[in-house]
Formats: sequence, structure tokens, C-alpha cells
Amino acid sequence: MASAVAAVPEALPRFKLLPRLLVGAQVLYVLGVAGAGYATTALGKAVVLAATPADLTTLKTTDFVRLRYAVATVPRTQWQGPDEPHIRQSVYVLLTSAGAPAAATVLGVYAAEPHAEAGQAVLRGWVTDVFPRTLGLRYGLERYYVPAASVLRKSTVARPLRVQVRIAPWGQSRIVEVSE
Amino acid sequence: MSHKFLHTESPAWVAEGLITEAQRQQLLARYPPDAVPAVGLLPLLGSLLVALSALSVVAANWAALPPVARLALLLSSLVGAYAGGHYFVQRGNRTLGRGLVGLGLMLFGVSIILVSQTYQLVGYDASGLLAWVVAGVALAYAHRSRMLAALTVLIGAVVQTYCTQALGSYSYATAALLAGGLGYFWWRRPDGLLSTVLSAGLLWQAALWVGVSHAKITWFFVPAMLVYAAGDWQANRPAGRAAQGPPLIAAYLFALGLALFGETDAYADLLRPPVLAYLGALGAVLALSVAGKKQRGRLDTLPDWLLLLPGFYLPGGLPLAIATLVVLYAHAGSVLLRAHRAGDADQLTLGTVLFVGATMVAYFKLTWAFLDKSLFFLLGGVLLLGLSWYLRRRNARVLAAAGAPGAAPGPARPTE
Repeated sequence: MASAVAAVPEALPRFKLLPRLLVGAQVLYVLGVAGAGYATTALGKAVVLAATPADLTTLKTTDFVRLRYAVATVPRTQWQGPDEPHIRQSVYVLLTSAGAPAAATVLGVYAAEPHAEAGQAVLRGWVTDVFPRTLGLRYGLERYYVPAASVLRKSTVARPLRVQVRIAPWGQSRIVEVSE
Repeated sequence: MSHKFLHTESPAWVAEGLITEAQRQQLLARYPPDAVPAVGLLPLLGSLLVALSALSVVAANWAALPPVARLALLLSSLVGAYAGGHYFVQRGNRTLGRGLVGLGLMLFGVSIILVSQTYQLVGYDASGLLAWVVAGVALAYAHRSRMLAALTVLIGAVVQTYCTQALGSYSYATAALLAGGLGYFWWRRPDGLLSTVLSAGLLWQAALWVGVSHAKITWFFVPAMLVYAAGDWQANRPAGRAAQGPPLIAAYLFALGLALFGETDAYADLLRPPVLAYLGALGAVLALSVAGKKQRGRLDTLPDWLLLLPGFYLPGGLPLAIATLVVLYAHAGSVLLRAHRAGDADQLTLGTVLFVGATMVAYFKLTWAFLDKSLFFLLGGVLLLGLSWYLRRRNARVLAAAGAPGAAPGPARPTE
């Protein structure tokens, strides 16, 4: 079985092209991920979420803070699905006031993607807790990597934050800005 | 042979008349002392330190770097690693070259993660990281490298774990790429280490699937035994056997658990999938496996399947524990018998260990309730001592008998 590898030298000319193409494809892919970031900002629906930082003292050792969103806890009455929600289930959260400066509120939590009217947006998330009266949700936006110039680095007192999120039509979302 | 060993031992050989002084000098000249290895390590260590310092500078200033600078930094290290890898592969230093290509593959995944993080971008399915697995499979083929294939198995495990734990969904594409893409690679270029890594990686994918789909955990053994059956069809016997190791270990541990804890019916109930569907699926895999064994002339390994007997359909309690123990004994016996026929020392040791293990379980299971505690330990100790004495004697006799005919093939050896 070692002979299969020992026979490679005659394959060297052929060798040149394919690996280089693969490297090129990987570079393009990483550029594409970055492009998706810019495209989400440019084309996505804007939503403002109210949040508070969980613990700003962690910024001394890490470069991110955990954000607690107001929309992370919703009443069970807003659940719209054929079955009872279960932990780790992927859900669609219908939000109001897309594009408005006011913080968004939850209209309903759906198991399947709902239709969004004008001024509404759908943010995807996951169920983390199922309580008798409320549902705990996670949006994947909880970890905010704080830029060096952010207001969050100025003091360790946790104040309410406005998190501007953009939701792309193809399903990605990103935090564009965090302000007080 | 080490020069140091020759240097210290050879004067005695001359003194005892084994070799002459001239021959000793010739031997010493034939095995010159190695170039001091520490000196060879210094450049490697030095470059490692330089790389670490660069890494720490970047990490400390990462938050202050503008996004474009981060992107440029990641892409240049990615291209640099690949370019270095190609350079060394073409110069003939394949180990270093492939190591650098592997580093490039790791940097590709790191780049995807860090760029997403830079733009605070969240994806809701596995498509972002799936590209990492695709790149790994493609690189393994392009470089015909088993090391890259094994690395891709690990990447696939990481991606699938992330998908199931963080995204709550199963990435069938990842599992299919590993099973199909790397499975075919392994089929064409069998290799012991890759067999084990790939087999264990596929079992991990199967286990995560069982976890996500809330299926009864016994369904795990259908894909696991498919991996086993692939090992039966593999033309290269050692590689096929290596691929069968992880599924067999999983099945053995399961049987052991059943013997130890299977008596409570509530627990056994968690294991019972619909009879017809489960037995039908497992039977199909068994047929596939038997056909492979027959084709390749390996029917002697058929008793491996004893471990898969679905004893958990028996009512929980003593019947289940005893049935499982009988199966464990039969399996250990089959391993011993096969090793005995082939005169294989490693297999003989394995069979002995399995046999002792089954005895321990049986003893603890069946006598703890009935015997006085001191008598329990006394009898257990005597049983184990006697067993070890008997097995060791038997081992020695078998190995001596196997050694005597020299290079004669196993079956030709007269049985005692």
C-alpha cells in the first residue's frame, strides 16, 4: 500500500493546477463571507433591539460581552406552532417596528417561517428554556465583539443598550452597531 | 541500532569472543552517532517561538484592527501556508509540505469563523462551515494524503458537533461527505490509522444523529455496523480490521452495559425500537457483512456479530442479564478460538481480557446478592487467581506450540 504513494512523482505536473485552484476557491470563499457581511448591512431589514450587557468586567480579559435582549424572554401565549416548543428547537420570531428607531417587540414565535408585513421582520432563533408561562430564546447575537472605540469600553456600569441589527433576505443577520 | 548501545555493550562482546576488535570497529563505523538531535530541533523551536510571538501580537491587537486589515491578515497567512506547502511538496519534502497544507486547511476554518465574528454575522445553518469540510475532502484527494483525510474527519466531527449542539439541526451533507468522499478515499488507499480515525469519526456522526433525532439509542448500531460491513468488503485485510475496531468496541461496551445495568425494565425500555424495523435494518446490514466476509474469505470473524444480538427485547431483570452474559462468554470464546487457530498472540491476549472481563461481570452480577460479603471477596479473588493461572499456562502452551512450526501457516499446526 506504500507503493501507491511512492508512485506519485510522475503525477507532479498534474499536481500544479488542482491544489492552486483549491486555494483560490478558499480565498474567494473567505472574501464571500466578508461580502455577505457588507451585503447584510446594505440590503437587510433594520431592527433595533433593547438589551443590557450581562457583565462588563469580563472585557478586561475577553474582547466580547454577553448581551441580554429584552426579546429573549417571551410569554408562552405568543407561541404559534402545531406542537409544544422543545429545547434547542429552531424558531422564527416575528418582530414589529422594522426600520423604526423604537425598540422592536415580539408579535409571535413560530415553528415555521411566518409572512412578514411591511414594517415587520422575522428574526431566527432557538428555544433555550421552556417555562410554564414563558419561553427563553437565543438569537445567536448574544456575543458582541466590542470594537476598541466602543462606548462599552468607557465604564463598567451596565446601562440599557440599543442594538441595531440587520436581517438579510437570505437568512443571515448581524449586529451593525451598539449604542447607549 | 543506536551508537550509544553499541559503544557501551560491544567491549563485552569482544571480551566474550563474540566478535573481534576489528569487527567491533567496523560495527561502530557502520552506525555513526546521530547528529546531535537537539541542534536539528533548534530552527524548528526558533520558528515556533517567532510564530507564537506574531500570533500574540495579532491577538492582543485584534479588537483594534479594522475589519479590512483582519481580512488581509487572515488571507495572507492562509495563502502563505498553502504556498509554503506546495513549495516543499514540489521540492520532495512531502511531510513538511503536507503539514503546511494541513495548517492552511486549519487556517481556512479559522478564517471563516473569525471573519464571521468580525462582521458580527450569524448564520442559521451549517452552510458556512460546510465549505471547510468540502475543502478538506478536496485537498485529501488533490494531495493524495491520508493525513489530510484524517484531519478532515476531525473537522467534520467539529462541524457536526457545532451544528447539532448550537444550531439544533443535523448536517446530512457533512455526514455524506465524510462517508462518501473520504469513504471512497479509504476504499482506494486503505491505511491502518486512517481506517480507525474514519471509522470512529463516522460513529461520532451516527451518535450525534441519534441524539438530534431523539431515536432509541440502539438505532446507532445500524450505521455503526454498516461501517463494520464496509471493513468486511475492504480488500486490504488489516485496514478493514482496523475500521471494524470502533464499531466492535461500541457494541462490546453496549453489551457490557446491558449486562451490568439492564435489569431494570425502565432502562431496557429506552432501548427497544420497533422490532420489525430494527431487526429488518440490522438483518440487512448483517447480510451485507456476511456477503463481504464470504467474498473475501473471512468467515472466521462472523462471531463478532454475537455482540449485536438484540437481547434488550427480553424482559428486563435476571433473564436479560444472564442472556447478555452468555453472549459475552460466547464472544470471548470465539475470539480465543480464532486466536488459537491462527496462533496470534495479540488476539489471544485480547480474548483473555474479554474472558476475564465477562467473568468479573458475571461474578459481581450473580453472587453479590446471595453471598456473605467476606465470602464474596474471597471467592472472587480465588476465582480470578485460578483463572489467571490457567489462562497464562494455556497461553504459554499455545504460543510455544505456535512458535515451534516456525513459518508454517496457522491451520497446518496440529491441535493439541
